[in-house]
Amino acid sequence: MSSKTAKPVMHSAAWRISLWATLAFACGTMLVFAFLHRFVADDIQRRSDAWLSGEVEVLGDVAERTPKDALYDRVVGEVAELAGKEVPNKLLSESSSNDSVFFLQTGGDGSRQLWVGAGDGEPTLKAIQAVKIVSNHPTDLHVQGFGVPFRVASIRLDDGSYIYLGLSERDELRVLRSLRLRFFLLWLLIVLFGFGIVFFTTRRMLSHVRKIGEAASRIGHSDLTARVPTTQKHDEVSNLALTLNHMLDRIESSMHQLHTITDSLAHDLRSPLTAIRGKLEMSLSAVMQVEQAEPIVSAIEELDRLTDFLNKSLDVAEAKADALRLNRVALDLDELLRIMIDLYEPSMSEKGLQIRLQSGGPLTIEADAALLHRMVANLFDNELKHLPPACSVTIRLSVEDDAASLILDDDGPGFDPEVCLHLFERRVKGRDSNGHGLGLAFIDAVARAHGGTVAASNRESGGARIIVALPLASNQGYQSPVPAI
Amino acid sequence: MRLLLVEDEPDIQNFLKSSLTEAGYQVDAAADGKTAERLVIDGQFDILIVDLGLPDQDGISLILKLRQLGVRAPVLILSARRSVDDRVRGLEQGGDDYLTKPFALAELLARLRNLIKRNSPPGAEAIRLRVLDLELDLLRREATRSGQLLQLTPQEFVLLEYLCRNAGRVVTRSMILDQVWGMRIQPDTNVVDVHIYRLRGKVDGPGQQPMIRTLRGVGYVLKDR
Repeated sequence: MSSKTAKPVMHSAAWRISLWATLAFACGTMLVFAFLHRFVADDIQRRSDAWLSGEVEVLGDVAERTPKDALYDRVVGEVAELAGKEVPNKLLSESSSNDSVFFLQTGGDGSRQLWVGAGDGEPTLKAIQAVKIVSNHPTDLHVQGFGVPFRVASIRLDDGSYIYLGLSERDELRVLRSLRLRFFLLWLLIVLFGFGIVFFTTRRMLSHVRKIGEAASRIGHSDLTARVPTTQKHDEVSNLALTLNHMLDRIESSMHQLHTITDSLAHDLRSPLTAIRGKLEMSLSAVMQVEQAEPIVSAIEELDRLTDFLNKSLDVAEAKADALRLNRVALDLDELLRIMIDLYEPSMSEKGLQIRLQSGGPLTIEADAALLHRMVANLFDNELKHLPPACSVTIRLSVEDDAASLILDDDGPGFDPEVCLHLFERRVKGRDSNGHGLGLAFIDAVARAHGGTVAASNRESGGARIIVALPLASNQGYQSPVPAI
Repeated sequence: MRLLLVEDEPDIQNFLKSSLTEAGYQVDAAADGKTAERLVIDGQFDILIVDLGLPDQDGISLILKLRQLGVRAPVLILSARRSVDDRVRGLEQGGDDYLTKPFALAELLARLRNLIKRNSPPGAEAIRLRVLDLELDLLRREATRSGQLLQLTPQEFVLLEYLCRNAGRVVTRSMILDQVWGMRIQPDTNVVDVHIYRLRGKVDGPGQQPMIRTLRGVGYVLKDR
């Protein structure tokens, strides 16, 4: 499991969920702010426009009423300067010279008559001449040398001269910029905070789901007694856990029923078999002549075959229902194969068969020793029974993809093509086979119970190939990968 | 040697009782747990055979109860169940043994002998085994017959040693597989017979009295007289 929990957090569902939720939230708030910003900007513009229009009218009034004498410039100039100090949205007055407002009076010919503002007003005059300014309607004016445009309102006096009042948009833009900055910082804070909250709550919730998934995957073929963890809360997740546990209860009870049936079937058949075998053995010890002993002996042998058939049938039946009970221990496959080959080699060479093992040394898996012994014995029995003389069997043991791979090759006639597709079903056997057709079904059953697989095929170069793959660790076989949350 | 047999099937109880008596045991039989408990309180037993499927209680509970009553004798568990219960494994590790039904009588007797031997104080382990003119040196792993050294493989030596230790008694194929190869399997081929056949070829030379006898349907016996 360690490799699964160590997955980067970016691959988890909680990460994805909180990422999308945060993205939606961030986009939404951004949109709301954009509207708000637009509204505020428009409002500021409207206010300054109103001020401009009002002021320019006042100034026009003053200019018209003031006699055009030597004092005219001073009077109008001072009124204009006073007006400039009442500028709306004014934030800073770091310099004594007021460069955010200008007042300009031009003659009917466009010549400058009066200038109140920073500098000599020449660039402003040029800019005004370049742009047609509609009377009394504030417009934007870009003046060379100034980074921000001016908002300019004008009025035509009766004497044909024009009065222009300009207000720099600098303060307005500064207000908006500061608004944007504050909003952005606040927005960032909220988004990060929101992401954190969503991420941690989702992760907490989904960690329950992950625990349920882990527990459910641990509940394997052999262990149905475990249950997934439940919480006190009555939410969807705890409902999921409860539903799973109910399901497991039902599965366990039907599995228990299956075990009861097979157990009682086994018991009901074995008890009479024991009694019969005992009686036969007793009568065998009583007779001395070989001719009389023969039928008793063959009856005992038949009985032993029947017992073996019974055991295998029940094992296969349980394994088909994923209900085979395992007692796992550490088991060295290499050693097991060597002992088995040692056991089978004399019978094989007696029949003219050769058997070879290619192994890279000890290979330990967790498996039920008794079942594996019987499985390998079955594989070897199959070869011994079905191979014609002078054939050879090669067994290769290796590790492939976290599984022990056991490949059994022979150079015999191969599988009957008619049964090739149904090799692992019960009671399927070749035409010439005298077994009860359980051998391969049993091998498949044992491999499946351990979370492994068996594949059988005919080799292209002739002969049969059986590949048995068994997971190295016990939990790998039937554990579905649980993603990190 | 007093033996308590706890088995509810009358047929099995009868044949076991007569076979065990014939094998030299003094057999008391009980058909249920209650009777077994009463018999244990009344008398001392050297060994017990307990069937797991009793009518009044579970065999394992009975064994645990008998242990509480102070029974120290080893128990051979008989089981007709499909797989061996974990609790039986636990008992097995504690010095008891189990046998699944149906079984060969020879195997039952062999397991009883093993249990008794395991529970008796350990004597000096023999380093030599001698059966008639067959002699095994367990340290040098060498076997001689009439002074002639036998060319045995290590596995054949282990097999012959097992036969010698059970000289005069029947050993079955599954006993040989269990004791010599360490596996409880039932091959439907003649693997054990071929091993015995080869061993016999080396032990019973031409002109010598054959020692390894085959009892068809039962097993093998190494003759000791």
